Amino acid sequence: MSWDGFTDGLRSFVVWVMDVSSVPIIIYFVLINSSLLLLIGLAYLEFRAQQRRRATALTWQGAGMAPGVSLLVPAYNEEAGIVTAVKSFLTLRYPRHEVVVVDDGSSDQTFARLEEAFDLVQVPRELPAEVPIRARVLGIWVPRDGRTRLVVVRKENSGRSEAINVAINAASEPLVAMIDGDSILEPDGLLHVTRPFADDPTRMVATGGAIRPVNGSRVVSGRIVRVEMPQTWIPRIQLVEYLRAFLLGRTGWSRLGGLILISGAFGLFRRDVVVEVGGLDPGSIGEDFELVMRIHKRMRDEGRDYKVEFVPEPVSWTEVPVTAKVLRNQRRRWHRGLWETLWAYRSMLFRPKYGRIGSVALPYYWLFELIAPLLELFGILIVPLALLLGVVNVPFAILFLVLAYGYAVLVTLAAMVVDEWAFHKHDRWRAIWQTVAASVLENIGYRQLTVWWRLEGWWSSLRGKKHVWGVMTRTGFDEEAA
Amino acid sequence: MIVGGALLIGATIAVLGGGLLLVLAVVTVRSRRRSRNQRDQMLLSPLRVPLITVASGEDDDGSAAEQLTWATGVTRTVLDSNIVELLTKIRGGPGDQLIRVLEVHGAVDAAVSDLTHRSSVRRARAAQLLGLARADHTVPLLVEALSDESVEVRNSAAYALGLIGDPSAAGAVLAAIGAPDRGLPAATAAEALQSMGVGISEVLREGMRDDNARTRMVAAHLSGERSFTRGLPELRHLLDHDTDLTVRETAATAIGRLGRDEDAAVLSRHTVPTEPLSLRRACVHALGELGDDTAVPTLAALLDDPDPRLAELAASALLVLGPGGGAALAGHEDDPAVRTARLMASLQKANA
Repeated sequence: MSWDGFTDGLRSFVVWVMDVSSVPIIIYFVLINSSLLLLIGLAYLEFRAQQRRRATALTWQGAGMAPGVSLLVPAYNEEAGIVTAVKSFLTLRYPRHEVVVVDDGSSDQTFARLEEAFDLVQVPRELPAEVPIRARVLGIWVPRDGRTRLVVVRKENSGRSEAINVAINAASEPLVAMIDGDSILEPDGLLHVTRPFADDPTRMVATGGAIRPVNGSRVVSGRIVRVEMPQTWIPRIQLVEYLRAFLLGRTGWSRLGGLILISGAFGLFRRDVVVEVGGLDPGSIGEDFELVMRIHKRMRDEGRDYKVEFVPEPVSWTEVPVTAKVLRNQRRRWHRGLWETLWAYRSMLFRPKYGRIGSVALPYYWLFELIAPLLELFGILIVPLALLLGVVNVPFAILFLVLAYGYAVLVTLAAMVVDEWAFHKHDRWRAIWQTVAASVLENIGYRQLTVWWRLEGWWSSLRGKKHVWGVMTRTGFDEEAA
Repeated sequence: MIVGGALLIGATIAVLGGGLLLVLAVVTVRSRRRSRNQRDQMLLSPLRVPLITVASGEDDDGSAAEQLTWATGVTRTVLDSNIVELLTKIRGGPGDQLIRVLEVHGAVDAAVSDLTHRSSVRRARAAQLLGLARADHTVPLLVEALSDESVEVRNSAAYALGLIGDPSAAGAVLAAIGAPDRGLPAATAAEALQSMGVGISEVLREGMRDDNARTRMVAAHLSGERSFTRGLPELRHLLDHDTDLTVRETAATAIGRLGRDEDAAVLSRHTVPTEPLSLRRACVHALGELGDDTAVPTLAALLDDPDPRLAELAASALLVLGPGGGAALAGHEDDPAVRTARLMASLQKANA
């Protein structure tokens, strides 16, 4: 076949593909943007309410009705920051909380550091087996002073989910907060996220708090003393993603009564409910998402009156990936987890007994979270090809691209307005311009790469490839800017 | 095609324009906040010294408070909001002086009329001010505000009633928790009721018979916290029969705090394996709190329970029950639960 013949054939094929797909793609485009607009609208309503609450805020120190909280901290090779983290968790402003650290078979000095810092003494305690555990527990330690509310459990290495399950068994308070050992909690964070449990103690089963990237901020002794923008663009763009996801996405879903995702970096649950559903699934990649779905399913199946809420106040700060390699691994894992969980709970789709979870939230996640990268990849491939072959009107295509990506920027800017209005965490004017720039730059290269990585994660799951947990390289943040 | 093109151009312009507007909005929000803060600081600076003098209780001759009453216009508004902020932390003589300043400024009268303002923020702030100013003549108005359509106003009204501490409002506060669609958050209600003194024990007994689980829980919780022994029959009933597990656990904890000797049998009944584990644990803990040695046989039997935490709780409870409890541990010295309970007790004792 001659080169001209090939290009003619390819041109005809591209024209045919565009003819066939243009209407569905435009419908999809309208639907996804409309749903985002709806979420923004819902988030706006919620923030108005939040703002009223803040403007009339009463000091609540959690006296009386504040339920006790066990902070569950899985730790694997965290020798660098574990002592600082535990000290900061122990000194949170809250009337009744304990810290349960599970050393998940670390090969470094994680346990030794804890033992030295808190003068730990081993207790012959047996852990309840309320949540089934496969790995062997090696021992339990408590501080010798008899009053510091810390429990350290050592176990054989078997992963984060099992470490949390062990911590659930070791926890003695009615609420359990799952947090990463490298997270930083706001001093009043627990007061914010437990408030819904105190206000509605018989119905509230889970709350999630907003998470922010800590990169670039100045941290001293496990506390943020100055919030700053990250120093490089990859974490800056993630900051923009976090703003969108937490300030618009989850706030909107919470308002709608369809919150199905509580981030693993900070989630608060009723312990008895987590035990009842069997704890985290160690075989799941998206274990946090899967747990919330399992709770929803159990509650709805049993016809129980319950609530899952999102607290938009910034509660937890976490270090986000700074290299493309680590980011790739994270995004692959997230999308794989999303797919596997959505697939596992497909039976809830459109079933009236699952209410808005089955009729709105799950279809949305299928259509606009799971499938979106597939369609975006299609666009990334077909548009340049069509431009090369001269089968599309160039100004028209450029306008369409500007509209599509401009809309994405618009959504981010809406989240920025909300953030500035409600929380104004960044003092410097420079932060505004850097955030605006990040919201534009996100669409040039970063977005396309994450589309590819997400599809890689999905594909590896479909091929039944075993997931390998990558190492999240931390740059650390103690005493200096991250 | 032309229509599609025009539509596309229109949408693109709208999106880009919207983006620009949002950037402007961010800048405006930040600028306004900064300029407002600067203005407030500037207006308040001449009054800062007398304000600190009054707040620190050093205004013996009342001249500083007098100086504060002279403020007018925007300065007065800024000063009043600072006084309200201070009143959340200051009580006694200095608090009374600051309240007097608010009264002279007409802030209390303005708050009474603001209770019906169309802005829910104004209504809520008005209710808070009335509470902080201990304006007890406004109790009926605040009780009415407990059924306001805005949860912030309901919260603030309950907070104000708690500050005023008039027990006659207790029934209304407790009833507001279970109001359909306009419920009062349980935590706010509990805090308000906690400040109302001993005169609320009958109201709490009523509350424990309410249809709403949250109301029953708050009433049970407060009965335990405040040691209202008159509520014991209701607490026992809740523990035995309530449909909500959280309410039953709360009742068990309350009985542990204020129960009588005969309540050891009531709590023991719910330590059996057929009961939910969390309730069994709550009852065992409560038996330890109760401190009656008739619970020894029940607790001793639980040392062999398959749930290690329950066994450890039972061992800990036996250790605080005196010689009878200690004797019941004989034969179990090597049990992990007993060894752990002993070790924890000795660590606590050594550092007491």
